[in-house]
Amino acid sequence: MNAPRAFRYISTDRRVREDRRFVVGKGKYIADIAAEAMLHVALVPSQHAAARIVSIDASRALALPGVHGVVDGAELAAACEPLMNGLDTPHVQRYPLAVGATRYMGEWVAAVVAETRAIAEDAAERVDIVYEALPHVIDAEEAYKSSSTPVHPAHGSNVLLDRVFNWGDVDEHFAASDSQLSLRVTWGRNATVPIETFGVLAQWDPWGAVLDVNASIQMPKYADQIARALRLPMNGVRVHYDVDVGGSYGVKRGIKHSVLTGYLARKLNRPVRLLEDRLENMRSGDAHGPERIFDIDVAFNSDGVINSMKMRALDNAGAYAGRAPFQLGKPIGAIVGPYRIKSVHYHAISVTTNKAVEEAVRGFGQSPTNYAIEAMVDRVAEAVGVDRIEVRRRNLIRSDEFPYLIPSGTRYDSGDYHTVVDKVLTHVNWPELVAERDRLRDEGLMAGIGVAACLEPSGGNSSFEPLLNPKNTTTTWMESCRINIDALGDINVAIHTTSSGQGHETLVATAVGEALEIDPARIRVTRPDSLSSLPGNSPVGSRMAIMLGGAAFKAAEKLKDKFRAIGAHRFGCAVDAVNYCDGNLSHGEQSLKWLDVVAIAHRHFHELPPGAEPGLEASFIMQTPTGEALPTPDGRVQMYPCHSFEFHIVLVVIDPELGKPDLRRYVIGHDCGVVINPHIVKGMTLGGIAHGIGAALLEEFVYDADGQMMSQSFMDYLLPSASEIPHVEIVHHCTPSPLTVFGQKGSGESGYLGAPAAVSGAINDAVRALGIRFEKLPIRTTAISDAIAEAKLKGRLP
Amino acid sequence: MKSAPFTYCRPASVTEACALLAADEDARLIAGGQTLVPMMAMRLARPTALIDIARIPELAFVRREGDHIEIGAATRQAFAEANATVALDLPLLARALPWIGHSAIRNRGTIGGSIANADPAAEIPLVLATLGGAVVVQTPRGRERFAARDFFLGPMTTAIPADGCLVEAHFPVWTHQRIGACFTEISARHGDFAYVSAAAQVALDDNGSCVACALGVGGATAQPTQLAVDLTGARINETTAREKLSVAIETLDMMTDPHASPAYRKRAALALALRALLAARDEALAKRART
Ligand SMILES: Cc1cc2nc3c(=O)[nH]c(=O)nc-3n(C[C@H](O)[C@H](O)[C@H](O)COP(=O)(O)OP(=O)(O)OC[C@H]3O[C@@H](n4cnc5c(N)ncnc54)[C@H](O)[C@@H]3O)c2cc1C
Repeated sequence: MNAPRAFRYISTDRRVREDRRFVVGKGKYIADIAAEAMLHVALVPSQHAAARIVSIDASRALALPGVHGVVDGAELAAACEPLMNGLDTPHVQRYPLAVGATRYMGEWVAAVVAETRAIAEDAAERVDIVYEALPHVIDAEEAYKSSSTPVHPAHGSNVLLDRVFNWGDVDEHFAASDSQLSLRVTWGRNATVPIETFGVLAQWDPWGAVLDVNASIQMPKYADQIARALRLPMNGVRVHYDVDVGGSYGVKRGIKHSVLTGYLARKLNRPVRLLEDRLENMRSGDAHGPERIFDIDVAFNSDGVINSMKMRALDNAGAYAGRAPFQLGKPIGAIVGPYRIKSVHYHAISVTTNKAVEEAVRGFGQSPTNYAIEAMVDRVAEAVGVDRIEVRRRNLIRSDEFPYLIPSGTRYDSGDYHTVVDKVLTHVNWPELVAERDRLRDEGLMAGIGVAACLEPSGGNSSFEPLLNPKNTTTTWMESCRINIDALGDINVAIHTTSSGQGHETLVATAVGEALEIDPARIRVTRPDSLSSLPGNSPVGSRMAIMLGGAAFKAAEKLKDKFRAIGAHRFGCAVDAVNYCDGNLSHGEQSLKWLDVVAIAHRHFHELPPGAEPGLEASFIMQTPTGEALPTPDGRVQMYPCHSFEFHIVLVVIDPELGKPDLRRYVIGHDCGVVINPHIVKGMTLGGIAHGIGAALLEEFVYDADGQMMSQSFMDYLLPSASEIPHVEIVHHCTPSPLTVFGQKGSGESGYLGAPAAVSGAINDAVRALGIRFEKLPIRTTAISDAIAEAKLKGRLP
Repeated sequence: MKSAPFTYCRPASVTEACALLAADEDARLIAGGQTLVPMMAMRLARPTALIDIARIPELAFVRREGDHIEIGAATRQAFAEANATVALDLPLLARALPWIGHSAIRNRGTIGGSIANADPAAEIPLVLATLGGAVVVQTPRGRERFAARDFFLGPMTTAIPADGCLVEAHFPVWTHQRIGACFTEISARHGDFAYVSAAAQVALDDNGSCVACALGVGGATAQPTQLAVDLTGARINETTAREKLSVAIETLDMMTDPHASPAYRKRAALALALRALLAARDEALAKRART
């Protein structure tokens, strides 16, 4: 069952076409795009965690030669609509600049526009602002208390979302289980932090009444949101999608930047560009990821079979609402991970605090949840005294159980988890790996093995929106593709989004080539601007292989139908009696070559079937394979359609004095269904693992108790470099998805979704004998050493 | 991250540089720019004028002078790293240089810039302090020599007067037959400034007894610290070395910051100093005794 089909181009070793321009330095990034007479923006940040803005005096800034204007929040609030909130929280209003009060350190209070960025920065220092400090709240638990100071007094509390779900007979399953245990784990505030910061260039054309926007964007409904905020018709905003985005994985949302820049361009009637510098990006770009405390109660039998789970997830959304709370919603679609947990109680809480605003980060909340689930499974294994892999095996869903309905209402499409685990264990030679760990321990080192199994839900619909916000009744998250075969028979494919490294041009050329049986190298892929585009939702939610690949394939199939109709008319046979092969048509002895069909369609109307349109064009707007139904009243919903699986094994060695963890071996088993381009999937997996290692060991946006941000640059926000990332061995497996055109699933978040759990599990295995357990990420070198020293002092030495 | 406005000049000699410095109290020397430029970009430093000394010919050299090696202040770290004299006569410096940032930084960063900058975790100042070297500073009033221990006054603070230009660093050369050196450190990532670093150089006699020993720790204390540990007169063994090092390190005043507690620094200083010492000893032992 479920064997992958044979393909011509799909899954074959073909170059990623985008790579050529990137490696020779010929990508077109936002900083490469300049307009004549362009002005530059610098921002004035607040130094306070919370403060009332008493007065803003820009006169000294405006007196500086080369300065064209200074705007503040009051001006913007009068001229714009507030930025879109995900939840129904109308009193948590956000504008591009602080209005009346500032709510986190670094929040933009005023924007300065000048001839050069340097002059703008000089002038920004001369904007005189008087603040009156206000009480603040930094900690999420503190913010959740009804006694805490609300970040938005008009909202009445700091609670954005506080919802309890009960899926299945949780109480009954707890009562019937042999044992239960509780744990708390904490996911630190990190993000993707791309090399390229966010940038946007806006130009207002007063004669055409169009705002032209170039941006390094990865954002669903980007043009819509700009239009709404600036009170323009949506056909008055033209977003250019042919901008290369220098990294994103969720955070390139830039909506406040874009609305601000659009406003300035219109007001000053000059092109205006805002390129965040690193400080603006790190402290003010509203691009931090989830920060989450998990409290879990788990009920299980003495054999390690897990029956039920209660999870409370408290997320620190920062100062404004945005889409952050939805990152508690998406994991509902894989709330039991790859396991047969029968019932779940889920308490999702999102609170505002005086920290920078949380945005989407790779996995949209799934990686923290996977970390919590895997920490729980490790604890169960420890409690019942069964090997961690064996406990996982006893709980993993079996391949004959798919499609598998989980308690929260999502059906997993397909999977073969046990086989992937077997393949990985064979690959690493598990007994030998364990022996090696024990040898290292005998040498006086602290060695540990980490294990993590998890899912990557993919094919992003937006089911979490209606689930968490009853006023939102969205049930489609389409993606589209258009193919035009020109008068010379060459193939042009249009896609309607930017790319931030996912290789969509390769994806689409491969899918269309596969369908049309034509070498993908001959297919051109272009990106019209938003005014010439079909509807789409951008490359988020690990969806483009499924959605854009699907739309491209279906559009190509429609084109083939047109070919066949032309052939049938010529051959005098039924349409399905026409044979299509390598772009040529035949029926018995009769045949039509590709160029003959092109000539008929483009020049010989008299040879076209009656009623046929001339030319050869087809488009397809694809609905997500799931997500068309609203959630049930008791909060069950079909979240994403496809579910990729990954299984990680890590060997870590810790220097017992210095505390430094050294990842000696890293193996991942990966099943994302049919791989469209192996190089892209490999790159995603390796990058995701590096990102996950960063989250586990290094990366954190740290705030002190006064709300001052301690990691505003790469001096203190530590990204892993090539030296910190071990060689990664990838073991492939392919379980096709029955829901997609080729059997593909998503892979844009792979690696990241399990690496933090695996790495922390390895460290905990290494220090277990000392009675130590690390339950907060990132696990820093110095903290490991301090804990070991303390344990030794207390005589907990083995 | 654009610096505040400044003027730029490139004098042809140290005398001219010092005169320019003396004339404008907000002027700053710039050498490799690997510390100063980022500081300016973040507007944490805002000199009105930059006086570029990186290309003054009289400041770039490595030469043997009596019992020490003199390195010109504007000598690039990468140049010293690849220099045969350094490799041969200053094994400790040769071991330390690769720990500085990444090679791109060492291509521009200078020996003198690192010493003048006096970051507590910087490698070159630690080598200078450990070996008991000296520096020469030129001002409009002439040249003055400072021993390392009188030169490093605290984090980013040195004895250089406002109109002074560091011109030379003097590193003592050991002439013993059996020398071993080791430099090691711990940081969160490869290439980062160290939480703690340790330097050790030992000389052994034909019997393996220690005849000279220099030990130091960096990153731990406000300035690079030469450890007052005398191991001469006997073979170096781990137990006594650990005891003596513990005593010396126990008295040090450790820095604290969000990355590493004083307790961590103390623990790491001891572990690293001991490892460096034993590695240096083993290297020396591996060298042939005179027969
Ligand atoms: C990413 C990164 C990582 C780094 N990692 C390390 C590391 O691990 N270890 C380390 O030691 N360093 C590290 N550095 C710093 C590097 O070594 C610098 O080169 C060095 O600290 C300063 O040397 P410079 O020549 O670049 O000096 P500059 O940046 O030009 O100047 C630094 C300061 O010294 C003054 N100065 C320079 N030359 C003289 C002189 N001759 N007389 C008087 N004053 C002078 C300047 O006025 C300025 O105040 C790193 C730098 C970066 C950017």
